[in-house]
This record gives sequence, structure tokens and C-alpha cells, in this order.
Amino acid sequence: MPIIDSHLHVFEKLSAEFPREVNEQCPADRAETAEKLLEVMATNGVDQAVLTQIGGTQLVHHRYLQHCLKTYPNRFRGIGLIPRDKWDAPEDHMDRLAENGDIIGFRINEIGGPADPLSQMDVRTFTSYRIWKHAAKKNYVMWLYIRAKDAHQVAFMVQAFPEIRAVFNHLMICPGEGMFSWDDEGRPHINTPIPPLTRYSMLGLHEYPNICVHLSGQYAFSQEAWPYCDLEGWHKTLLSKFGADKLMWATDFPWILEDPGYDKLVQVIDELLPDLNAQQKAEIMEGTAKRVLGFPDVAD
Amino acid sequence: MRRPTDAERQEWEANGVLFLQNAIEGEDLSRLQATFDRCTAEARREWLEGIAKGTRPAAHFDIPKPLEKDDVFIDLIDYPGWYGFLMDFADEDLILLAPQVRTLPVSPISYVGWHPDVPHTTPLHMKVQIYIEDVPTDGGAFGYVPGSHKPNAGLCPVVRPLDSMPGHKVYPGKAGDAVLFNSYGWHTAMVNRTLKPRKSIILIYEKWSKDRILTDQFATIADKCTTPDRRRLFSLDER
Repeated sequence: MPIIDSHLHVFEKLSAEFPREVNEQCPADRAETAEKLLEVMATNGVDQAVLTQIGGTQLVHHRYLQHCLKTYPNRFRGIGLIPRDKWDAPEDHMDRLAENGDIIGFRINEIGGPADPLSQMDVRTFTSYRIWKHAAKKNYVMWLYIRAKDAHQVAFMVQAFPEIRAVFNHLMICPGEGMFSWDDEGRPHINTPIPPLTRYSMLGLHEYPNICVHLSGQYAFSQEAWPYCDLEGWHKTLLSKFGADKLMWATDFPWILEDPGYDKLVQVIDELLPDLNAQQKAEIMEGTAKRVLGFPDVAD
Repeated sequence: MRRPTDAERQEWEANGVLFLQNAIEGEDLSRLQATFDRCTAEARREWLEGIAKGTRPAAHFDIPKPLEKDDVFIDLIDYPGWYGFLMDFADEDLILLAPQVRTLPVSPISYVGWHPDVPHTTPLHMKVQIYIEDVPTDGGAFGYVPGSHKPNAGLCPVVRPLDSMPGHKVYPGKAGDAVLFNSYGWHTAMVNRTLKPRKSIILIYEKWSKDRILTDQFATIADKCTTPDRRRLFSLDER
């Protein structure tokens, strides 16, 4: 069975060739390269992947991502980032990153509308409006890891641009303010109720045909070790609402390499959705991502 | 206190839902509306803080512990406009589970899809939804599938879009109207496509069963429940 890992990160050591931002989790001398990824993918029978930009939003920060996409054109698709100070005129930045066709979309974490759900909602006033508008025009994918305070605004934007392919990262969970931390292994950890209370603003999006959800990031939300059984119910809810043809499996490499290990993440869907039939499993592990994100056949 | 007619009882048995026009009106309604708005305003800041933290839902706004906020909410629990119906359908042995004093923001999607609340293994479970202001068909009105409360109804299907549910009926209403429904049945809040949030109160009841509600659940308002009927309704005494 072909497999696509639909959300992960790679980065090189800091250099003039590949400049990037540095922080505690990604120090200058740390590298989690495409070659390392490909090796672990090969070991686990994974064929293709979506590389999501990390290490900065400026054009130069995307150099390593672009290098990987150019070097392995049939293996990867890319997701870019947009500097916050360019949100009021993001078109040129988005187009320059996407001009080769291998960066297919952009990740944002805020919608930028009124925090009070009882306010009047006019999407044209939302700070991310021009990003969505341009994505609709250019058929870019929206990659969404939305903060909790913006969750109620998403449906208005989806209603305005129903043609946009939107992929909600990490179980459609929307992190709350003050709930983010780094765990002892240097990985993101989100303290959130499960099922998330933002579900009341999000699950109804299943009515829109171009909305997909990542089954990923379990380690960051679970209170348990692999296979994260406390998330089983939420996985089943997402399956029942969206269907397998709207769900995509992902690992969030490299954060899971040591704990629980890439091989364990390949098995996590079997653990959390044990009643899937073969067709559903194939959709989640490959079919949805291939169809929605336009992956070529590996042999091409 | 109004009791169901034979025709209403037959409708309840057949459909699992009754629309009660003008269930609360006049000064009672005016007092309820004013209290609703005052308590909502008082609780709003805390709600917004909870939304940002992800600890409160943005898709609906419930006033916390409403029975402790104002006696008007306590008086709703056995209000004559619906209490006689509930008592009749529960064979005169009714308990309150919870009140929800709820504001529903405008949204292109419903905050909850079609669903039953409880399985048939639960004792008869009923809700009364009271409209505080006029609720048009496209204003987040209550939707129900008549007959879906019956044990042979099968599983509630996932439908897209919400209004494609076969056999469903939408219940718009005026301020003071109420919908009483059997919670075994499939129901939802339809999409609120207006520019105005929906205001309603949902009262949740069940036919009494042992240990369903602890005697301290409503202990903070025990001094307001001095009659035997109220003490039973609020499960204030061991049985």
C-alpha cells in the first residue's frame, strides 16, 4: 500500500546557503534533513511527504525547503509560511514561493477576525482575508493550525471561499492561549480538553466538500504514551463526521523520531481506528493526500 | 397548570415533539428577557477569556450556574406553561437534570449536527427549549425528526448539508414559544444565517431513577425549594 506522510518538517544546520531562525528546539547545529527523512520513510514503507516550512517565514528561510523540493521532485510537496507583516499584501510573497509548483499552499495559525463570537462578522476585515482571497485565485491550499480564539471565525472564511482546499493540521485541535509548552524531549505539548471545546465551531465544517483534517500530532495532545488511547474517541468522531476520504495521516517528523519512533506512528491509525476497512485505511494513509494535494505517482 | 389534551398526548407519542405557543408571556416573559440579558452581560467577559484559552466553546454561550444567578430561572423549572406536560409524560415522577441559558452566535454552520441525546436504555429524557426572542426559520431554530424517538428508528445518519435530513421539521417561533421534545429523537440547532444571535433556554429533565442526580446537585438553592414537589424535582432528598 502506498503511503504519504502529509505533514512534517525538515531543516539543515544554519548556514549562509540555508539561513533560518534558531531556537531551543532548532539550534544552529541541529539538522533533520530530507535525506534522514527519506531513510526513515524507506525503512517504514512511506513513499511521499508534505514538507511544512519551519525556521522562519521570510523568503530566504524557505531555501532549504525549496532545495529539498527541487532535489526530490516526485517525493515531496511543500507548504510555505507568510511573514506577519506581509499579511496585508501577501500576494507577491505567496506567488514567488509557489512559482515552481512544488510549494502548493500556505500555513497560518490565525484568522484575524473579532475575538467575540457575538460581534458582526465581515471576512473582508479579517487580517488573513487577502491570503484566503489569493489562495482562492491561485488554487493554493490553506494549511491551518488555528488558535482557539479564532476557531469560530473559520466557518465564515470557508463560506466565503468554499473552493479552497483547506487542511486542518493535528486533529483539528485549536490550541488555547497559555496552553502551549515544550515537553521534556523538546517537543510541542498542548494542554487541551479532549474532545476539544472548539469542536462546536469546527465539526460542522464537514459539510463543505474541500475541508480535510490531519490525523497527526497525537503526542502533543495526549496524556498517555503511544498509542495515545485517550484520543481514540476523537479519531472516531473525525472519521464519522468527515469520512476517510477527507482524513490524512501524518507523523509531524522529526518530533516523533525518538518517542515513540517513526515506525510507531505508521501504526497509530491501526491502533486508534481499528475498525477501518481496507479502502478507508488506504484513503487515510495515501489516497486523500494524493488526490487533494496533487501528488504524482512515485514512479513518474 | 396546563395539562396535555388527548390529541397532544397522541402527538407526543407519535412524533416525540410538541410546540407550545405562548408558553410564557406577559410580565413573566419580560422579566425573563431582562434577566437573561443582564446575566449574559455579566458572564460575557469570563466566556471570552475561556474561548481564548480553549476552555469554553465559542459556538454557544451558556451562563454558568444560572439557578444561582436569579430566581427567575428557578421559577422556569416548574413553570405552568410546560410543567404539566412534563409531569404527565413522566408519570408524575420528574427530576431536573440541568438548565442551559444559551446564546447562539451567528455562524454559517450549526454548532451541533443531528443527534439524539441519550440511548433508549436511559429513562425518558425530555427537554424544553424556550425562545427568549423571536427565532425565524434561518435564525438557529430548533430542528427535529418527528418519529425518530422510537426504538426502531435506527442510527442517526450523518447528512450534508444539515437541512437535507429526511423527514425533519424546523420549529421557528415567537418570544415565549417553547418546544418540548423527547431527547431519544434526532434533533439539532439549524444554521443561524441571520445577523442576530439566538437566545433560548433549554431545560433538561428525566423521569426519576435512583441515584441519577445527587442530593447536593442543587443544594445551593435548597432554600428556594420549600414544597415537597420542588424538593423532588430538584432531587434534594434521598428516595
